[in-house]
This record gives sequence, C-alpha cells and structure tokens, in this order.
Amino acid sequence: MSEDKINEPNKNSGRRNFLKFGALATGLTLVGGGLQKVFSGEKGTGEKVRLLSPDGKVYEGDKGNLCEVRPLPVSNEEARKGIPNKKFVMVIDLAKCDGCKKCTEACQAMHYTESDREWLKVFTMKEAEADAPYYFPKPCFHCDNPPCTKVCPVNATFKRQDGIVLIDNERCIGCRSCMAACPYSTRFFNWSHPDQKQTAALGNIKYSPEQSVPRRMGTVEKCDFCPDMIRQGKMPACVSGCPMNVIYFGDQNEDAVTNAAGVTVKLSKLLSDNAGYRHLEELGTEPRVYYLPPKNRKYPVPDMDKVDRVKNTKKPTEMVMDNM
Amino acid sequence: MSQRTISYRYFMSRIALAITITGLLSSNVSAQDTPQSHGSKSEATIALSYYKKADTARTAVAEIKAKNKNGKFIPAINTWVNFYAVQNKEPKLINSTVTNSKGKAVIVLPKEMPLDDSLWFTIVAKIEKDSLYEDATEQVHFKDASLGVTLNPKDTNRIVTAKVLQMGKDGKEVPAKDVAVKFYVQRLFGVMPALEENSVNTDENGEASFTLPKNIPGDTAGTLGVVVKIEDNDKFGNVEKNATTSWGSRLSLIKDPFPRALWEPYAPMPLVITISTLFGGVWFTYFLIFFQLRKIKTSPDDDEDKTVKKN
Amino acid sequence: MANEKFDLKKEIEMVREDCLRPTRTFSRTTQVWIACLLIVIGWGLYCYIHQLRHGLGVTAMRDYVSWGLYISTFVFFIGISHSGTLVSAILRITKQEWRRPITRSAELLTFVSLLFGGIQPIIDLGRPDRIGNLVIFGRIQSPLMWDVISICTYFAGSTVFLFLPMIPDMALCRDSLTVTDTRYKRFKKWLYKFMAIGWKGTKSQWHRLEKTMNIMTIVIIPVAVSVHTVVSYIFAMTLRPGWNSTVFGPYFVVGALYSGSAGVILGMAAFRKLYHLEKYITPKHFDLMGRIVLALTMIYAYLNLNEYWIPAYKMATAEGHLLTDLFSGSYSSAFWTCQFGTVLLPIVIMAFPKGRSIGMLSITCIIIVCGAWVKRYLIVVPTLLHPFMPIQEVPGSWSSYFPNYVEFSVTAAALAGIFLVITLFSKLFPMMAVWEVEEGIEIEHDKQLAIELKEQRIAEDAKAKLLEKANGEIKPKVLISEKI
Repeated sequence: MSEDKINEPNKNSGRRNFLKFGALATGLTLVGGGLQKVFSGEKGTGEKVRLLSPDGKVYEGDKGNLCEVRPLPVSNEEARKGIPNKKFVMVIDLAKCDGCKKCTEACQAMHYTESDREWLKVFTMKEAEADAPYYFPKPCFHCDNPPCTKVCPVNATFKRQDGIVLIDNERCIGCRSCMAACPYSTRFFNWSHPDQKQTAALGNIKYSPEQSVPRRMGTVEKCDFCPDMIRQGKMPACVSGCPMNVIYFGDQNEDAVTNAAGVTVKLSKLLSDNAGYRHLEELGTEPRVYYLPPKNRKYPVPDMDKVDRVKNTKKPTEMVMDNM
Repeated sequence: MSQRTISYRYFMSRIALAITITGLLSSNVSAQDTPQSHGSKSEATIALSYYKKADTARTAVAEIKAKNKNGKFIPAINTWVNFYAVQNKEPKLINSTVTNSKGKAVIVLPKEMPLDDSLWFTIVAKIEKDSLYEDATEQVHFKDASLGVTLNPKDTNRIVTAKVLQMGKDGKEVPAKDVAVKFYVQRLFGVMPALEENSVNTDENGEASFTLPKNIPGDTAGTLGVVVKIEDNDKFGNVEKNATTSWGSRLSLIKDPFPRALWEPYAPMPLVITISTLFGGVWFTYFLIFFQLRKIKTSPDDDEDKTVKKN
Repeated sequence: MANEKFDLKKEIEMVREDCLRPTRTFSRTTQVWIACLLIVIGWGLYCYIHQLRHGLGVTAMRDYVSWGLYISTFVFFIGISHSGTLVSAILRITKQEWRRPITRSAELLTFVSLLFGGIQPIIDLGRPDRIGNLVIFGRIQSPLMWDVISICTYFAGSTVFLFLPMIPDMALCRDSLTVTDTRYKRFKKWLYKFMAIGWKGTKSQWHRLEKTMNIMTIVIIPVAVSVHTVVSYIFAMTLRPGWNSTVFGPYFVVGALYSGSAGVILGMAAFRKLYHLEKYITPKHFDLMGRIVLALTMIYAYLNLNEYWIPAYKMATAEGHLLTDLFSGSYSSAFWTCQFGTVLLPIVIMAFPKGRSIGMLSITCIIIVCGAWVKRYLIVVPTLLHPFMPIQEVPGSWSSYFPNYVEFSVTAAALAGIFLVITLFSKLFPMMAVWEVEEGIEIEHDKQLAIELKEQRIAEDAKAKLLEKANGEIKPKVLISEKI
C-alpha cells in the first residue's frame, strides 16, 4: 500500500525523504488540512516562497518545489479505539458568535470539502416570534447515546472511548440509515465521485477514519472533531479558526476547555456560570457539545428575513446539471 | 493496563512537544485580509515581548499589525523582521525571521545576551526596507530571572512554592522581591489558572507559595502538571517553570470502554438472545421441513394403497 | 350408487386440462409482452449501471432526502408480499374451502414481490460492492440488519411455502409431459423431474407433505408479521418527526395486508381472464376477498387515524411542521387523495355487494395498490424534508425532492421484473394448485354423496317408519347418524 505511493514520481519522492529524515529535516509549516509543507524536488518556477520551521528558522525556496506531506495516520484499529482516558467536549458560546462562518471555512479547508458541504454549519435561529434571532454554529454533537451509530448495520460509524463518533469510509456500505437516524442533519453523503481538485490536493495519502479524507463515492461523512489534530496536540480546525473565541474544546475528564485565544477555563464552572445547555436535550441523545445561551450579545442581531431556505449561488446551467 | 499507561505517556509527550511549537506554525490566511497598499507604504506597529520558557530557552516575539482597508488592525503576515541586541550602545543583528499567519515573528535568543552595567539586556525589533511597510522599530529591555519551583510530594497541604532569583551585581543570584507569580495547572490544550485568584507576590526571600486546591482532575495516577509563570513583568518579561505533582484527583479507569450496548460493536445479550431464539427457531423449523422433503424424495415405492388420494 | 350429476373422473380430467393448458402454449401476445418487459428491464439496468458508475448523485436524492423512491418502493413491494401469507396461510388454517383456486397465485405474488422488494435496498446502496460487509461486520443492533435477517427468513419460508404444494403438481406435469408438450421438452422434463423430488403419490409421501404444510402454514404467519414490523422499524427506531411512532409496526403490517390482498385480487382477476379460469375463480371468490379487503381497509383507516390524528391534536413543534405540510402544505393534495381516494372511497365501494363484483373490485384494488405506493412515498419523503434543524442556505436540489428518470426507470424495471417472473412462472407451472382443486372437488363429491346417502337413509327411515307403523315395531334411531 505504502510501497506504491513511494514509487510515485516527483511529489512523493519528497514525501519519502521527509519521512526518512524526520519531521524537522526540511523547512516546513502547517497548512489547512493538517498538512505540512516541505521543499523538495528540482522543479523551479522562479517564484519564491518562505516557510517557517518549528525551530524558528526561515527557509526560502521555489514554489514549484513546494509539496505537502501529512503525518502518517494511526491504524484503523487505533482510530476505532480512540484515545484512552479522554472525553472530548465542545462548548459554543452563542453570546459571542457573530456569524462570520470562519469556523466553517476553517473546517472546509481542513477537510477539503466543497463549499455547499458544511460539516459545521452556522444556522440563524429564533425560538419564538417575540425572541431575537441568534447565530447557532452546529458541528456533529458526538452523542453519547448516538442514534446514528445504533442503526449502522456494519459498524462503519462507531463511538470511540474518547467520545468521538467517527465514520470508516472503507467499510461504509452507503445505506444512509445513519443519515435518517441523525436528528441534527449532521451527516452528508458522497453522492458522486469526489471533486478532482481535492483528489489532486490530497495526493495519494493513506486513509484513516481520523482524518476523514480521502473521501469516497457512496459513503457517508461528517464532522469528526479533527482527531488527527488532537493527536498532534492541537485543537480542531473550527476551534482555532474562530476569531471571536466562541468555541471551546477540551477534555471533560480534565474539566477544562480551551478556546482559540488559548484561554483555558474550568468546564464545570463555565457551564454553571453561564447556564450551559445542550441542543434538543429532550431527545436524549446526550450530545458532547454544550451551548452557552445567547444573552447579552455583543454583535448586531442577525436578520432572520435574509436567511433563505435555498442558497442561490449557482449559475442556472449548473442547477440544470444537478437535476439531471 | 500498562499498555494503556505507556500510550498515554507517549501521547502526553507528543502533546508537550506539539504545544511548544504550536505558536510557531502558520496556517493559510485568506486573501481579502491582506493589508492595504496603494502605492505608498503603510504603517506597521510592532509589539515586542520576551519569553523564558520552562526549558530556559529564551525567545523574543514581535507581533506586527497593520491597518487594512477598513482601518482595522490585522496581523501582517510574511513580513521580515530583524532582531538586534544592543552591545556597548551599538545594535548587533541577532537573527531575522518572517511573521506567521498571526503576524508573529519568533526568534530564539542567544544564550549570552550582552548586558549593560545594571545587568539589563536590550532587544530591538525592526522592519527595514520592506516592500509593503514603512520602517518601524520597537525596543524593550529586561533582566534575566530564574524561576524555580519546589514542592514536597508528601505534603498533604499541597503547597507549591515558587522562587524568583535575579543576577546580583557580584555575579551571585539574589532573591527578587514583589514579583507577581501566577500558578496554573497543565491541561490538554493549554494552562488553566489553578484558582481564580492565582497570583501571589514574592516575599523578601523571593518566594511565593500557593496552596493547590483539592479535586483538580489529574490522570489515572493523580499526576498533575503545575505551571508557574511570571507574566508581562516590566523587569523580567515572561518566565515560566513546570513541576509535576501527584495531587490531582485520580481519574477512575473505565473498566470496559466498549461495553455491550446498542451503539457499540457488540449487542446487549438480551437482544442477541431474543433475535437468535426467534429466528433460530424459525430456521430450525425450516431444517425440519428440508429433512421431511428429503424423506419424501427417498421414500420407497412401497404403498399398496397409493390410490388413497390420487384417484 | 352412481351419481349422474357429478362425474368425478371427468371433472378431474377437466381441472388438469384447464390448469396445464397455459403451460403448453406460448402465444405471440405472450412473446410481445415478454419482449416489452425485457425492454423496460434493459433500460432500467442501463440506468442502474449509470448509477453504479457515477454514484447515487444521478438520482434526485440529496443530503436531506437521502431516501426516496427506492426505499418507498421497497416498503411497498414488501407490503405486497404479505398477500401470500394472508390468503394462503390464514385461509388454510381456517380450512376455508374457497381458498383452493387462489392459493398458488397468492403465494407466487409473495415470492416475487419479496424477491424484487428485497433488492430495492441494494439498489439504494451507495456501495453495493461492499454488501458482504453485512456478513463480515454485521451488527445485530441495526434495524437494517433485522430487515436483512427477517426478509431472508421470510423469503426462504415463502419459497418453501410456494414449493410444497407444487410438488404433487410437478409430478403431474412430469407425468403428463410426454403426451402433449413439445416445446422446450428436455428443459421442462428436467425441471419438472427435479422439482417433483421423486413424488410418487404414496401414502407416506402424502402424509409427510401434509405434515410439512401444516408446520409451514403456522410458521410463515409470524415470520410475515415480523418482516413488515421490522421494515417499519428502520423508520420507527429513529427520532425523526413522523417516524418516531409506536404504532408504526402494526400500521405497516396492516398497510401491507391491505395492499397485498388487493394485489391478490388483481392477480386473480388477471389469471382468470388470461387463462380462462372463470369456472374456478368465481364471483363468489371476489365477493369473499372483497370482504377481507374491506375489513383490512377499515383497520388501516383506523390506524391512519391513530398515526395522524393523535399527533395532530397535540401539534408538537417538529411533528407540527411535518403535519402542517402534509395537511395543508406541498404534500396536502397527495396526502388527502391517499386518505379519501384510496382508503375511504374503497371502503364505501366495497361496502356494497355491487362494489365487490369482479369489475368494480378490480378497479378498487388498482386504486388501493397505487394509493398504497404513494402512501409509502408520503411516509418516507416528507419526514426527511422536516428535520429538527431548519433547512437554511442549502443548494436548491437539496431542499426538495421528486424522483428523476433514473429512479423511475430502475423502479419500473423492478416492477417489470415482477411481471416477467410471474409470466414465466405461469408459462411453466400451473397457476392453480391442481391437486388442491381436485381435493376440493373430491370433498364436494363426497359431500354430495353423503347428502345423497343421508337423503336415502331418511327416505329409508321414512319407509321403515311407515313399515313400523304398519308393523308396530321400533327401530333404533342412532343408525342414521352413524352412517353419515
């Protein structure tokens, strides 16, 4: 499996070298999808780019020689077990969210998703007629009583010991029972072949349920809490991508959550001080995502009238193609 | 069990490594957030700070910001920053680096920084001859402090003592008085204040003591990392030191992380028994019928009264 | 004592001739019909291959409506498959004599609709190539797994149930083949011989066959009920408004019986007409089946009331949005047409004896079957369009659903497949259980004889009484009952 990857010309020779000589051999920097960029190869375009290495050194190299590598993922078995003695939990402070959707963008960059596929979607919600609307970012809730995992006939979606619910797209048969079962419309289906650009961007990387890519036609995907990032000691893309520090992430066993600003707070205190709640608690799914109520908001109230059911960004011809 | 501990330790060590490099790593920045540039160069501001990490490595961080079209300050990325040390009132280039996606340029300071008469050292960060920004300079000076943490693992009062020392005139270290020291506990993605009021000033011995609260969750062995920090001190900058205690509340191991449940790979026994009994019974009946059919096939051509039903 | 009105031997000869005649002909009309079906199937296969190559994206399904026509059709076909059990097993258990000419077609309908119903979810799979994962990694907690187990069990059972009463008929076909039939003789000879499993009609063989049939008749009923119950569970085990209902099991079972027995009536009418079985399948059969469908439709109407009126009274948030859409929104015309046109109207029609005449009943049953199909669609699709989270800023194709040509073509092919298998079956095997009908005639004959005997006795008795009166002697009365 890895052998044929190594034998691929140009791009992957860099990968091999990179892996052989260790993580710090060449100047590198992390980009969106948990990828590391390295200089490698002889091709030149004349355009120079700078990369920063973890030890603070700067390397300038040719853009044509730039390539991305990804730390080797954990095995499928390991990915199914999860990280022992951890219980990951997310807190979303609705009072601070200004609906900028930077979290969605960070997520999409991380997972190479198409623009209409929002694993983390920012809804505009309004409880009652007299209430003011508010923004509501909604990732996968990684429920402790997960309706999706219960109905999977082949154990392709599974609950790990660290609380994360993942999908193994090498096992998924595409029956979409989980999509029907999820009350939060969190799951997406790969109706067609994955986008060519994404495939090219990812190269020949090995699949792991922890990174959810490369995606495959006929399988289900969803927000995964970025477990590959967690293994690198980093928070999920949406958490660190939020400029308003809305999203907190951490380990419930440690009773602490951290936001993008690096502020670590006591989870139990955060929830009790702000009357945290879980969305649709009455369904009994026991979500691992908590919300802090949108009171004393610091941004203008969203305009409910501007939210349409249908996003009309596509050209008419594309829409015809869709319906064919 | 030991397997689990090992992988956990490995994991923690990975995290520790990753945390130290997190701040240095850049990520993609969208194009519309680039600073304005219409012909003339724009103004950039530099905020310079100094850190002494737990491993005594000293870094200088210059945060560069510039106004965008809307007049809002945003990080200036990929900008070269030159760092200087001042020796005999002459600036001496230490290193140059480029800012990351958060607009931060980070360098590791040399072990021996040139000191002035009162034992202060000076760091200067400069933007020079940049294509986008006008030249800018920021200068700070600090004194080197060494921060030590002492604690008695058997202490039931869970007292953590930090000691701050600074270089004396005679080359000996002397206690630093009235320095605010803050106490944190190490968590997965950052450090959390050990208590809301976690700042203690050093006494004349340069010591600050803090009682670690009970019931702070540690790992399965109750191990708890304590981080002691001097933050944004005018004299010493940012200094940090770690210690490990066993004063955390122990995390009880989940005996079976994958119990038989509806959402786990293995089904609850009552469900398995019910389904296998019901359908097992039916299939058992089917086999009885197949058995009978075989008998029909092999039944001998015996009967004398085979006309019972057929005519 | 000979009976002029009832020549048993002649009757039986006639039955055999009537039943076996269709298996000996292969008319031009049949050939054209099969060709048409093959064209539909071929086009459906082409569309399916297109779907395999380019993914389910070629259908109209998207992330909100992730189950569409395929799953609706799955539920519908499985529903139709309940006919065999109802008519055949229940009527057998209750020893209804009139069942005899219609059991075979009912059992066949079960077998075929189950076959094509069962492949619908496979057509709907994103990765049919990984179907083996169901065996390798199967989780018994999944309602879909219950479906797989239950449908396989029912399919095996209904195959046996169809096959058992065919054994003596196969022997009959085998034995009468040499005389008349010439088409595909070698194949037929082999087939009949194989399927007759050495049937010689000995006493022990009859005994064993009756025993196995009695067992199967009992076993197949709970299995059939289980199938449609767990089909409903793939919906009812979710938290979705409209599916999260405790009445779904019985609702689906009754819905299946209602549409399935209507399907049986349509089959009866078709075979009666096409294979000239008017003598055996009589207006009396239609009247009785009509009564059964009437009763089932009324139970179905009652369950509809439970399914919609109870939540409609409360109008809980999410459920309320769905019900509003069904009652007065985009699905209201289809919904009310289903409720009034295909449930209440058939009740009214079938309540009158004229409504249970062959013509009227057939039309009513067409309405019922079509209505049941649309109803399945109305159960599956609107719920998916009313999730708990609002549908906001999604691509246009996600926010609504109507099946496109691929789905219609593939579904039409499945329907054509049902017709094709039934046609081929009827060209190979007798569409009535010959021996069962014969047995019925024999019983009828025996009854006749008994009645005559009784009449004779009574007459003799009367004579004796007269004599007795004349002679003053008394004869014991018990004798009469003993002899009958």
